[in-house]
Amino acid sequence: MKRTTIAISLLVGLATAALAAETRWVERTKVDIRAGRGSFYDIVETVKRGDQVEVLTTQDKWASVRTPSAKTGWVYEAALKPTPVPPGTSDFLKAAPGDVSTSRTAASQGAKGVYAQNYAKQKGYDYGFVEWVETHQPDGPQIEAFLKDPGDKTGGAK
Amino acid sequence: MKARAYATLALLLALVMVGCQTTGGSTALGIMTGTNPEDIRGATTDIDEPEEIELGRAVTSALGSRYTLSRDEPLTRYVALVGNEVALQSDRPDLRYYFGVLDTEEVNAFAAPGGYVFITRGTLRLMRDEATLAAVLGHEIGHVALKHHVNAIKDQKQKAVESGLFKSALRVGSGFIPGVGGAVTSAVVNTPLLDLGMNAAVDLSLKGYSRSQEEEADAAGFKYATRAGYDPAGLRNFLKAAQDSGTQPAKSGFFTKLNSTHPGGAERLKAQDDQLKSAPTGGRRAAPRFEQQVIAKLPAPPGQAGQPAQPATKGTPPTR
Repeated sequence: MKRTTIAISLLVGLATAALAAETRWVERTKVDIRAGRGSFYDIVETVKRGDQVEVLTTQDKWASVRTPSAKTGWVYEAALKPTPVPPGTSDFLKAAPGDVSTSRTAASQGAKGVYAQNYAKQKGYDYGFVEWVETHQPDGPQIEAFLKDPGDKTGGAK
Repeated sequence: MKARAYATLALLLALVMVGCQTTGGSTALGIMTGTNPEDIRGATTDIDEPEEIELGRAVTSALGSRYTLSRDEPLTRYVALVGNEVALQSDRPDLRYYFGVLDTEEVNAFAAPGGYVFITRGTLRLMRDEATLAAVLGHEIGHVALKHHVNAIKDQKQKAVESGLFKSALRVGSGFIPGVGGAVTSAVVNTPLLDLGMNAAVDLSLKGYSRSQEEEADAAGFKYATRAGYDPAGLRNFLKAAQDSGTQPAKSGFFTKLNSTHPGGAERLKAQDDQLKSAPTGGRRAAPRFEQQVIAKLPAPPGQAGQPAQPATKGTPPTR
């Protein structure tokens, strides 16, 4: 009897969770799904305009979503729409060779910023300036730790 | 005879295809594919986030031609930590922000589209706590979050399209012209419109914004830093310190409207005082951490006995 009750409860729970998940459509040309509620967390997956995601929960304007490939992560709610969005990309993304990502590792993966590199080359600028900045930023855990420390005491170096 | 005709046709087609690859399409091809000029006009002036980030990279590289980047990793990380905390409270918390320190005594700060924010060592030297740093970074984040660059570049692109630069864009490359020739070239060709956007972004970022944009960024910086829990007086304290220091702020970037001879400085201070009247009291200043991470590590200013001269700003700072 107990087992039956537990099984029914589990089923009801799963059904409730499934019903609770709301469908949303990606409105921007390209959106990074991240491991946490912040742009500095690692990218779990990148979705594109018109893709459908399931919203599992929301918190502080960020939505935890399940992507079409069943990965879960966080995305800013404003990037999603409650009604279907036709797929499409921007002229820039059509033309961009490879991926132009907001990822913190973008610069280290090569083939990023290629148009800006062209521009820098034409103008005689050092693109290494950009690469150094992009590769010397704190990561998610470092920022998380910083957010918890008010910094009013000496010795709290990060 | 037929074979020769086919061969000639094939050769002609091949030549057209080569033309497509190297030029990305021609006006003739555009006509052949029935491209709607209205579609092209709208498409060429739109700027999405990936393109904005690319524009930001171009501006950042231009900044590198004028200033030396500090390669002090702990200092850069600290500034970035404060910047990220403030950016989380901005109107675009989902954008990835990058922060850097410019190795110059010039008192200034810059924002580039796509989330690239820079502050000079001379600016850090005027500060006494983290709340002030948060406010100045918040001001620059404000320019990005409010899309001041993007809107200005879109306007310039639109004007260029209307004035006929659009035609030369078609001749040079299809990178940002959809539908022409049915496909875009895989060759990396910066179109005139993209370069125009990059030039406009560089100009705006380095030479300064309109007065109303500066006021908006001040209000945004105040709001973001306060939301992050910092003392709301940070920006007011910095503006005052800059005026009192006797230094001559650059007539560009952050200080477009804060030159000591410029009437905007007093107006900005008054606006901050007005905002403070209705702001919550308190807020952390995190002075001990700022002292440890910045003040204690900054090299002495140039001219002080026993200290090496500081690296100079490259070239002439841009003027408005």
